[in-house]
Amino acid sequence: MDSWIIVTEAGPVAGMTAAARELGGTVTAVVVGPRPLAESTAACDCDSVQWFATPDSVPAEALALQVTDLVAAASPRLVLALDDPAGRVLLAAAATRLGAALVSSVPRLSVEGDNLVVTRPAVEGKVVETLVVPGALAGVFDGEDVDVVSRAPAAITEVAPSGMALSMRIIETTVAPGEAAGLQQAERVVSIGRGVRKREDIALVEELADAAHAKMACTLPICDDMRWYDESHVVGTSTQQIAPDLYIAVGVSGQPQHMSGVRAAKVIVAINNDPEATIFKKCHFGILGDLYEIVPALTAAFKRA
Amino acid sequence: MNCVIAFKWAKNPQDARVGADGAVDWRAAKMVASDDDAAAVAVARDLAAGDELVGLTVGDGDSPWAAARGASRTLSVADVEPNADSAVLGEVLAAGVRRIGGADIVIIGDGVWDQMVAMSLAGQLGWAALAGVVSATAEGDRLHVTRKSGTGTEVIEVGTPVVLAVAARRAEDKPPGMKDVLAARKKPLEKVAMADLGVTSVGGVTVRGTALPEAADARIFDGTDPEAAVEQLMTALRSEGVL
Repeated sequence: MDSWIIVTEAGPVAGMTAAARELGGTVTAVVVGPRPLAESTAACDCDSVQWFATPDSVPAEALALQVTDLVAAASPRLVLALDDPAGRVLLAAAATRLGAALVSSVPRLSVEGDNLVVTRPAVEGKVVETLVVPGALAGVFDGEDVDVVSRAPAAITEVAPSGMALSMRIIETTVAPGEAAGLQQAERVVSIGRGVRKREDIALVEELADAAHAKMACTLPICDDMRWYDESHVVGTSTQQIAPDLYIAVGVSGQPQHMSGVRAAKVIVAINNDPEATIFKKCHFGILGDLYEIVPALTAAFKRA
Repeated sequence: MNCVIAFKWAKNPQDARVGADGAVDWRAAKMVASDDDAAAVAVARDLAAGDELVGLTVGDGDSPWAAARGASRTLSVADVEPNADSAVLGEVLAAGVRRIGGADIVIIGDGVWDQMVAMSLAGQLGWAALAGVVSATAEGDRLHVTRKSGTGTEVIEVGTPVVLAVAARRAEDKPPGMKDVLAARKKPLEKVAMADLGVTSVGGVTVRGTALPEAADARIFDGTDPEAAVEQLMTALRSEGVL
């Protein structure tokens, strides 16, 4: 059973390829974007790369028809894309043409006989749901990335787009305000939520960030309601997604809108005094206790480290 | 431009009951408006600017919701239940848009609860689509659509017909007043069934079951003794190789 993956942005492409490999067949990547994206995809263990080079002024969605034609001609059993806006648009266009089932979250895949089986968190992570798909499946891969064992990159074939939809063009690009706070590149990030009681108390957490050589982030209410930080520090669904090695959440309850912004973090640490806080189910390590006692102790530990 | 606003097409997972055996009971949960729906209707109102804005909803939700926010009439497809195959709802909504007729733009929430329904709607209409939309303005017969990209935002000029999936930044800040809500109940509401729209698909996905997640991998240290808890945490972080 062969698979295709659609790539329009950098992300956990190696993880997506590994999921597609579960089917045992070939994995073909179709990349829409600049050359470096095609090259990084080729290094992610797929068998071949079909690359649509787009000028800077053309969004990937403008090639929906061309990508759909290419994928549909191969009639694969599985098509995966990442959850960026353009990837999702192309995935659904391909799914419609293939008559494939469309599943909005596919973190893990397996094969049972002739069926594809998807295991995924549902109801905001309160349960694990098992889906059985007897036919073609198009899904959004939202599982973890994997390290690629070094092997020769796949061959890249440039596909000339015919009849590109010129009805769509990019007329302005703005870099996210998050760049100003340096969160995108940060290896370590410390964030605060509403568990921090007063504006003056931020200094306590900032001291921890200094000691840990980390950048400061916050939840949306800290910016919008409290106005303690500007938007460049906000992490979450509607703002920015980050991928530090270490993310320390101080007084953050763990709402899905915030946690989706740190899904790609390697290690998430939560400090909270509420044993029922959702974040304790979404972190790797936690300290259940008063942040006003824990944070100074942690700051001292980082200074010693 | 003539706009259709698709709203209240999902149930809030927070309203579902999870049993001790991991079974999920959705009976108490109704179709509700998400924050994305509120953001979408705000964009729709601006784009319609004098032309027609029509609401489109499914299931058992409160149908006058869009009418209270500027829609002149609403089509409700009553017998729709959530489906793990997003293409099913996409097909229902696409059929609804065709039934309403004359739309230049379909605006829909980008869907925190199901991020593929809006895309599937576009695929089944065969229209261009943009997701992660923050705002949009009409410039003559074209649209300037601001949407999130990997590194920030892009403004994309696009023609019609088009589907715009709007992502909310936050909850609705100005819900309509009582006067608008009462007036909305007098606006035309057409109720149809899936069969009336010629939709018979049941989807290509079977839910085999749900189970409680295995005990979280998280290791939680007791912070009653802050020094000891921090020491345990630092040891753990060292073994994870992130220090």
